[in-house]
Amino acid sequence: MIKKNSAIILGIESSCDETAAALIEKKGSRFSILANTVLSQVKIHRQFGGVVPEVAARNHLENILSVVNKTLIEAKIKPKQIDKIAVTHGPGLITSLIVGAETAKNLAFAWQKPLIPINHLKAHLYANWLKNKTIKFPAIALIVSGGHTEIVLMKSNINFKKIGETVDDAAGEAFDKVAALLNLGYPGGPVVSKLADKGNAQAFKFPRPMMYKDNFNFSFSGLKTAVLYEIKKIPRINSKIKSDMCASFQQAAIDVLAFKTIKAAKRYKAKTIILSGGVAANKLLRKTLEQQATNNQLDFMVPEINLCTDNAAMIAAAGFFEKSIPWQKLRVNPNLEI
Amino acid sequence: MKHITHSEIQTFNLGKKVASQLKAGGVISLTGELGAGKTVFVKGLAVGLGVEQVVNSPTFVLMKIYPTKHSTVKQIVHIDCYRLKESDEIVNVGALEYFNRPDTVTVIEWAEKIKKNLPQSRQKILIEIKNVNDREITIT
Repeated sequence: MIKKNSAIILGIESSCDETAAALIEKKGSRFSILANTVLSQVKIHRQFGGVVPEVAARNHLENILSVVNKTLIEAKIKPKQIDKIAVTHGPGLITSLIVGAETAKNLAFAWQKPLIPINHLKAHLYANWLKNKTIKFPAIALIVSGGHTEIVLMKSNINFKKIGETVDDAAGEAFDKVAALLNLGYPGGPVVSKLADKGNAQAFKFPRPMMYKDNFNFSFSGLKTAVLYEIKKIPRINSKIKSDMCASFQQAAIDVLAFKTIKAAKRYKAKTIILSGGVAANKLLRKTLEQQATNNQLDFMVPEINLCTDNAAMIAAAGFFEKSIPWQKLRVNPNLEI
Repeated sequence: MKHITHSEIQTFNLGKKVASQLKAGGVISLTGELGAGKTVFVKGLAVGLGVEQVVNSPTFVLMKIYPTKHSTVKQIVHIDCYRLKESDEIVNVGALEYFNRPDTVTVIEWAEKIKKNLPQSRQKILIEIKNVNDREITIT
């Protein structure tokens, strides 16, 4: 039998508040996105000031099959052309994860396809493979999102080792909570960085927690508390102060993220810096890390912005590197680690 | 009982001290605004029970479970209700299965959001910001 040189994977993602499906084809070593559908619930959750788990799960359930269907139609792919199904099994919100996992199980059973469980954090990194560029190893990867902030050492495209993480809040969580303290609404990341563009990053002296500790861990809880103290000191907070506070906070967070990532790259003699996760959509973080990587003669990889935030293209991409399991064995794990 | 702490480390140490008096099966509810130091207190509590892993914010996943090195408390369940809107949402997360389990200590941040589902017998901890760095911690 001649081994087929191309394969198509259907990816399914529902770990937080995005219902997503995508079809990725790999020919030889080249990836192409046939269709990539993301249904965001941001508007629904905005009225509550954050993701409400129960509301998220219900919306996933209502929408997931139409998202899969739309993806198939857009890619003009019939189920029989799909080789495998890949689905996020953690980490994430348990009630949300279950919807994607059960849908994938059902499809794998009905269509008789192999089912591949995917670690959402690894998938954020595999989003970079969709760029079809050669990635040199070892690589140091910074994963920053609403739920995670980790530095990962990659010795090859399937070898991951976590070397540092946040000891309290995730970076994205700090953006969300600072936005809540300043009454800026949800999600915090985009609104804080938008205001920060107009603000003075030197206006407030916020701490750079853990910057000079001899490890690759982060702490963002103290930074959030420092913002709270400043807010309490000021009797009336006008929009200028808000912008300055956002700019100063964002600068402090990015300073630490970039500093520790570069430090890890030097320590492990990395050839590439990889940035990924929802907070990788932050323009200043992308720019800062790219500049510092270039200054240190390192390659820099970051996915397009729509592939930084949660999506299923990255899940399908990860599917090409992971093994399938019988559908009966698929279990979700909200606290899955890299 | 009221305690005053003047730094993050003192709040951490108070958590550690409370851990030394905890019994397996205990449920602790924590109340206090953003930045009050709830997670710091829980970190102290976890270290006091012999948790070796990094205890970080469960805001995103709602619940994290850590094994301990304690003689009777085998695990600590760390729950964060910050994102919940309805008390009953905590049921689907599977959290209630851990309340009062004889080998478990459960600690719940933003506990006021799930009042209806909290067990009657529990230790209540209120953390109030008095001043920069100063916290009044009431344990009842």
